[in-house]
Amino acid sequence: MKKILTYTLLLLTLTGCIKEDSFDNDPIGNFDALWSIIDQHYCFFDYAEKEYGLDWDAAYDNYRPMVSEETTNEELFDILGNLLAELRDGHVNLSSAYGTTYYWDWSITRPINFSDSIQRNYLGTDFRYNNGIKFQTLLPDSIGYMYVSSFSNSLGSGNISHILAKMGRCPGLIIDIRGNGGGMITSAETLASHFTDREASVGYMLHKTGIGHNDFSQPEEMKLKPAKGAIWLRPTVVLTNGGVYSAANNFVMMMQALPNPYIAILGDKTGGGSGMPLNSTLPNGWRLRYSACPMLDVNGNHTEFGIEPDIRVDLTSEDWDKGRDTMIEAARQYIKFIYQNLENSEKEEGETIKF
Amino acid sequence: MRKIAARTLLLMALLFMPAMLKAQYVITDSIIPRRIVVKSTTHGIAALDNLDTYLSGYSFVGAGYKLSHENFRDALMGKRKWKYQTLFNATLGIALQEINIQYALLADYSWGGYHSFEINDRLQLLAGAQAQLSGGVLYLPANGNNPASAKIRAAIAASAMAIYHIPIKGRDHILRLQLDIPLAGVMFAPQYGQSYYEIFGRGDTKGIIRFSYPGNTPSWRHALTFDIPVGSKYRNNTLRLSYSGDFYQSRVNGIRTHIYNNAISIGVVRTLYKIKEGDPIKAYSPY
Repeated sequence: MKKILTYTLLLLTLTGCIKEDSFDNDPIGNFDALWSIIDQHYCFFDYAEKEYGLDWDAAYDNYRPMVSEETTNEELFDILGNLLAELRDGHVNLSSAYGTTYYWDWSITRPINFSDSIQRNYLGTDFRYNNGIKFQTLLPDSIGYMYVSSFSNSLGSGNISHILAKMGRCPGLIIDIRGNGGGMITSAETLASHFTDREASVGYMLHKTGIGHNDFSQPEEMKLKPAKGAIWLRPTVVLTNGGVYSAANNFVMMMQALPNPYIAILGDKTGGGSGMPLNSTLPNGWRLRYSACPMLDVNGNHTEFGIEPDIRVDLTSEDWDKGRDTMIEAARQYIKFIYQNLENSEKEEGETIKF
Repeated sequence: MRKIAARTLLLMALLFMPAMLKAQYVITDSIIPRRIVVKSTTHGIAALDNLDTYLSGYSFVGAGYKLSHENFRDALMGKRKWKYQTLFNATLGIALQEINIQYALLADYSWGGYHSFEINDRLQLLAGAQAQLSGGVLYLPANGNNPASAKIRAAIAASAMAIYHIPIKGRDHILRLQLDIPLAGVMFAPQYGQSYYEIFGRGDTKGIIRFSYPGNTPSWRHALTFDIPVGSKYRNNTLRLSYSGDFYQSRVNGIRTHIYNNAISIGVVRTLYKIKEGDPIKAYSPY
């Protein structure tokens, strides 16, 4: 029995206690904790260094002297917000009683390319509404139009099938996601899955496997299965602008990769935000969010800083004054162009809708 | 005709009476306790200290309710040399790290077999092994894509008990100390920076089931129980007071976890006599 007790104590001594992070709950400790969490978990260091020369160690050297034991909480919050802005990532936020820090440049430095006042001219007053999606048939050419302002709602195939069924007579569809800042990636997947009739590879996803900046898993292929419900294979145009971010950016990435040849991305470059964010906390309880799991497009490229459209169109000031949406009009023209080409080549693809 | 019928019934009664009496005797004699099972259920207050670096690098400290249920019995064979224990624990708690709230739901079930060494009339030492199955979740709603950390583990553990009888006012009080140390098993752990979306949404399950051993999961639990007979000595009512400490720790896939659970509980002990026909075999209490 003595031996058992001796070996037990020896085992417990050798293995020891597993403890929390060792940063103090004071201004310096919280600064160091935040810098360290980002250093060990953030997923775009290498990419950001190549894109604009991010140096996270240099950022520590620049900002750390601003913090002392006398730094107030509010001052610390501002300093940490500025430090995080070095990452130029809209998915990196610090939340406390003083608010939430945001990096907005991906959106506010870009042309807005959208007006809800102009959109009213197209939606009218008799538009339909299903789980956050406004939809209408645009006359006189009977083009379907759906406005998905967010992926925060949990979209189901039933919602999408109902919308597509209502547009069963439309020769083409415009999916307007301008200003869509993201939400649930599963909602983005559900919507995209209604635009393919076969399983398709739509990108890759990976995650950190250790604290090193380049400790990543092998990219795992992301496959998208066709939805159980209405499948839309007619010409489809996705409208984008700089406000398209996160799950909406991933939606564009998936739509671009689908085998349906009649899908086009039209508008302005998206805002990006391809890293799935995770959260952690600082010693003082402030909540930190950071990009953790990058998603790559089907060619293995990062989409963190946005996706270029297939057809570049901006909302012109002339059209703005006339209450006319340049992008919606361009999308209508594109759909007409597709049909003209189809007639010319006597092809019949893209003319079926399956239920 | 009535007379004949009455006489026939009387005759039949006289003929079968000895057999009926004998059968009654046999049944009475063979209804004996074949197994004595000591069952206990306790309810307690637990102090929690939860760390899971998948959720946060800092401990969440709080309190919870702990339910424990135990069956402890002597084996039919071996005459007091072998004993079995099944143990179920469940804890529901809430813990804080500064302004952040975490909810914890943790449960475990174990089955243990022990060999008994009677040191003297009062002291009995037991050594054996346990099969442990545990599961639960730490839930931190403030986290967006990593709001929860699932805890699923199966392990084989070394287990030991010391049982000591203390006669107070002529009644048997039982003090028991138990120590369980997991030695080998398997456990679920996401990769260092992996989202649950990748695991459950995309089916990326590589490396999420890991072998556990004291080097990466240095864990143990102990329990001290004190059984006190209460009320009339003929009523066999027993109160249990217990302190239990469960110290689960892991360092797997770069994620550090500790779940420390110290609970003080109170409950009742019931001694059940399982009755069955058969050859007379004397049943023993596991104590």
